[in-house]
Amino acid sequence: MISVKKVDNRTLNFLERIYIWEIARGIAVTSRHFFINLFNPKKIMTVQYPEEKLALPASALLRTRHRLKVRADGSPKCVACFMCQTACPAFCIKIESAEYPDNSVEKYPAVFDIDLSRCVMCGMCVEACPEDAISMDTGEIPGAAVTRSALLLTKEDLLRNLPGEPSVLGAANALANEYLRSRGEE
Amino acid sequence: MPKLTIDGKTIEVAKGTTLLEAAQQLGVYIPRYCYHPRLSVSGNCRMCLVEVEKAPKLVTACSTEAAEGMTVRTDSEKVKAARKDVLEFLLINHPLDCPICDQAGECGLQDYYMEYSLKKSRFSREDKVRRGKRRPLGPNLVLDNERCILCTRCVRFCAEVTKTSELEVMERADHSFIDLKEGKALDNGYTLNIADICPVGAWTSRDFRFKQRVWFLKKTPTVCLGCATGCQIEAHHNDNTIYRIMPRPNAETNTWLCDQGRMTYKAVQAGDRLSKGVIRNGVIDLEPALREAATRIDAAHSAAAVAVLGSPWLSVEDNAALARLAKDAIKTESFCFDLAAEQGIKDGILINKDAAPNTAGVALVKAAHGGISLGELASRLASGKIKVLVTEARAAAFLKPVLASAKPLLIVFATNRAQIPPEAYATLAYASYFETPGTFVNYQGLRRTTEPAVNAREGVKPLWTLVSKLAAYSGASLKLDSPEDALKGIDFK
Amino acid sequence: MMELIEANKDMLLFTAAAGVKVLAFLGAIMGFAGLLTLAERKVSALMQDRIGPNRASVLGFTLNGLFHPLADAIKMIFKEDFVPARAEKLLFTLAPMFALVPVLALFAVIPFGDYVMVFGYQLDLQIADVPLGIFFVLALSGLAIYGVFLAGWASKNNFALLGAMRGAAQMVSYEVVLGLTMVGLLMIYGSGSLQDMVRAQGKLLFDFIPAWGIVLQPFAFVLFLTAAIAENKRTPFDLVEGESEIIGYFMEYSSMRFAAFMFAEFVEIILVAMLASTLFFGGWQVPYLYDTGFIFPGGGALELDHYLVAALQVGSIIAKTIFFSWFLLVVRWTLPRFRFDQLMSLCWKGLLPLALLNILVTGAAMLLLGKI
Repeated sequence: MISVKKVDNRTLNFLERIYIWEIARGIAVTSRHFFINLFNPKKIMTVQYPEEKLALPASALLRTRHRLKVRADGSPKCVACFMCQTACPAFCIKIESAEYPDNSVEKYPAVFDIDLSRCVMCGMCVEACPEDAISMDTGEIPGAAVTRSALLLTKEDLLRNLPGEPSVLGAANALANEYLRSRGEE
Repeated sequence: MPKLTIDGKTIEVAKGTTLLEAAQQLGVYIPRYCYHPRLSVSGNCRMCLVEVEKAPKLVTACSTEAAEGMTVRTDSEKVKAARKDVLEFLLINHPLDCPICDQAGECGLQDYYMEYSLKKSRFSREDKVRRGKRRPLGPNLVLDNERCILCTRCVRFCAEVTKTSELEVMERADHSFIDLKEGKALDNGYTLNIADICPVGAWTSRDFRFKQRVWFLKKTPTVCLGCATGCQIEAHHNDNTIYRIMPRPNAETNTWLCDQGRMTYKAVQAGDRLSKGVIRNGVIDLEPALREAATRIDAAHSAAAVAVLGSPWLSVEDNAALARLAKDAIKTESFCFDLAAEQGIKDGILINKDAAPNTAGVALVKAAHGGISLGELASRLASGKIKVLVTEARAAAFLKPVLASAKPLLIVFATNRAQIPPEAYATLAYASYFETPGTFVNYQGLRRTTEPAVNAREGVKPLWTLVSKLAAYSGASLKLDSPEDALKGIDFK
Repeated sequence: MMELIEANKDMLLFTAAAGVKVLAFLGAIMGFAGLLTLAERKVSALMQDRIGPNRASVLGFTLNGLFHPLADAIKMIFKEDFVPARAEKLLFTLAPMFALVPVLALFAVIPFGDYVMVFGYQLDLQIADVPLGIFFVLALSGLAIYGVFLAGWASKNNFALLGAMRGAAQMVSYEVVLGLTMVGLLMIYGSGSLQDMVRAQGKLLFDFIPAWGIVLQPFAFVLFLTAAIAENKRTPFDLVEGESEIIGYFMEYSSMRFAAFMFAEFVEIILVAMLASTLFFGGWQVPYLYDTGFIFPGGGALELDHYLVAALQVGSIIAKTIFFSWFLLVVRWTLPRFRFDQLMSLCWKGLLPLALLNILVTGAAMLLLGKI
């Protein structure tokens, strides 16, 4: 349903139609703000980012810089299934897979790069991940950078656990968890 | 000639045709796992169940022969329910490790689940039967018994196609699993076909494993140049890199592809791939190398001192260009396209006695341009009359004994460093047939054209272009602007 | 040689004085226009509860953004000086000059003080006291249309041309109103010289109200300000640029050519501010300040040094200019834009009849008061 809002389109009275009075009222409002802010800048809303930062709202919908979750043994939870790379509309994820010789999950990402200069922060990679390995909950907002390479996140930059982890979700990761259990590491 | 109705459409089929084949002729797709057109019918997966009027139960379409007046339904509620239930059965013990499974994207289980089931499993992970994962079997394959649905395509392939019978289903009922027979090794030379025909991720190729996800791959139909059989293949590539080669089943030549043929793509992106010219052992740019080769040809004083030898590893276009070089640019009589070899299937499946792909094609060039016999060329070389020999790197082996003694100045064309014969003076790099089109004639006399799957490296040109430039440096124009120009005068019959 | 100098002493002195005045005045105008580019952003920021630009720093000092005009200038200079391939190269180059030069030339007739005695010579604080200065103003501001229209036409860009067409139509229309509002002033002051007008505003009405134009012609002031903002092509009359529609006569311009247009716009703000204060707010006049010092209507008096009087007078016009510049910025950031048809009907159906009425009323009043 489209909500309908009735607008009171009454005809202007004479004072309003000759503009002058209304213009004066408008200017009074703006110049009041001007002088208040000029002599008492407390009400200014500007946040001097990046020196100052506002606390981000604690929302599950919030998408901030990516991270790759880590298993108990320090290996990435990612199994290099390429779903995020496939889902990424900005083509900013680059994965190269490799094989573990012993871990029963077999596969891991040898290279996992996210090019933040291309990333549109849409969160499709998080949606696509079948292993709960990538998330966008670091609370960091990727800002500008002087060089392109500074915006290229490598696997090392991305690997990070938040308190309360490692999580053990994911079908293929069950194999890794089993393996870790067998080695007494979990 | 039984006449039957499938989903309301009537068709008359040859006697002995199964319901599944009849439906295929009608364009009605019946899902299947164990059925394969080139293997015996097993009927164990139950995926192809269809409803036949007056039959008490659903029947398997793959094993039921069409009979006069049959009325078959493949889209009834009963059939749909049966497919759903069969899929649930097949997936009871499936580990659902698609994220680490190479088959994902071309997996029968994934496809049929999406198409016919979409049902949640009623079996928790703890109740699933666990089996061996990641068992390397043979030089080319990895077996994951957990993913296996026991369709026995691989068992039947080894028993019926290669007739080596390495594989067998071990134990019974839900204990059963595919394994190697005792004392056997999975190295029959056609093993990678098992990975192809496996409808699930149980068999995966060690070579392709984890290299690339299949949905990223682009497919280019081309021809295998591993031997004179000339199998039709498909090169799967992405980002200018070939990742695997799959057979393109066809009635004339091949359903399968040998392991050796599947590895031919490796040379294209091998580390010793040439992209420039080589003079003795020093790498130089292609243009100076061409100029040097042309200078040497010119410096041989008389045209008779230069010989050109064709090669069965080169396409018809490139051989014809070499012939034109000899006839029209160098104007020598010593050119040889007489390279007959014994041909025919060696092992009863695919591998040819003749390891070169284009012996028949060279014969066509000889028919069009003439030339002397290989023996005559050898004797001319031995007599020392010939000072410069131009040929393809591998073809130089035809004259190996004479080259060692006569020591002419050898100018060869090569794609990889490993091909260069030790006697070579100058080597010119050319684009391989994964990078440039070329016409080949297989042992059956069938004309096959390769299609470029990837781009050649910067500066690497097709061989006929090099020949044309070589002629230009010697002051002659062969008027070769396209591969079609080179094919002029060649009669393919 | 000496005799030659002696013979042409007045001439030489006049030339030297004029040169000094031009350099000083234009320098001040240019510097002030540069600061206005920053002020525009700062004023709008403060009005909107923001801080505004404050990041450009020299050796770590930002001075609350004072280096931004400098940074902008450097940026503009190093931008690519792009000329569209199909543009009229000569006119494309001339257009920014047509925009900037008439505006700068206009300052010649605006008095920025009465006079100051230097070494016994009387130095008029005005570059050129043209007898009909007010027509000079109208004539040169009419020239500015060429800058706009040539820029749009020479760009060979449909959108630029559309902007230029709008600009020409708007400027020609409001030129008429601008001229008519000045007729009332001409009638009152009886002189076309701006200096004469300012001097006339030094008188007192009923012995205590300064006879400023705003008192005598309040109606004309409103019309003048409206028409002047429209001439200036700034919001609410910025159809010519239409930032949100991207139809601007200078849309093909970049680098310093673009900077010339932008700069002309800011110089025009100063011009409008100076004209408004000159014509309606007594110019350099300070109420009750005369050559010798303050003489208040109540009878009190304050003797002041001649140089202090001159300084107060110059300070007066500076303060008025700053105020009106600020006021124009506030107007620009307060009001929304007109539609083009509204713009035109405001001019021809609103302001023009009112201006004519103003002349009529002025004439009638003068007749009644027996001033003619």
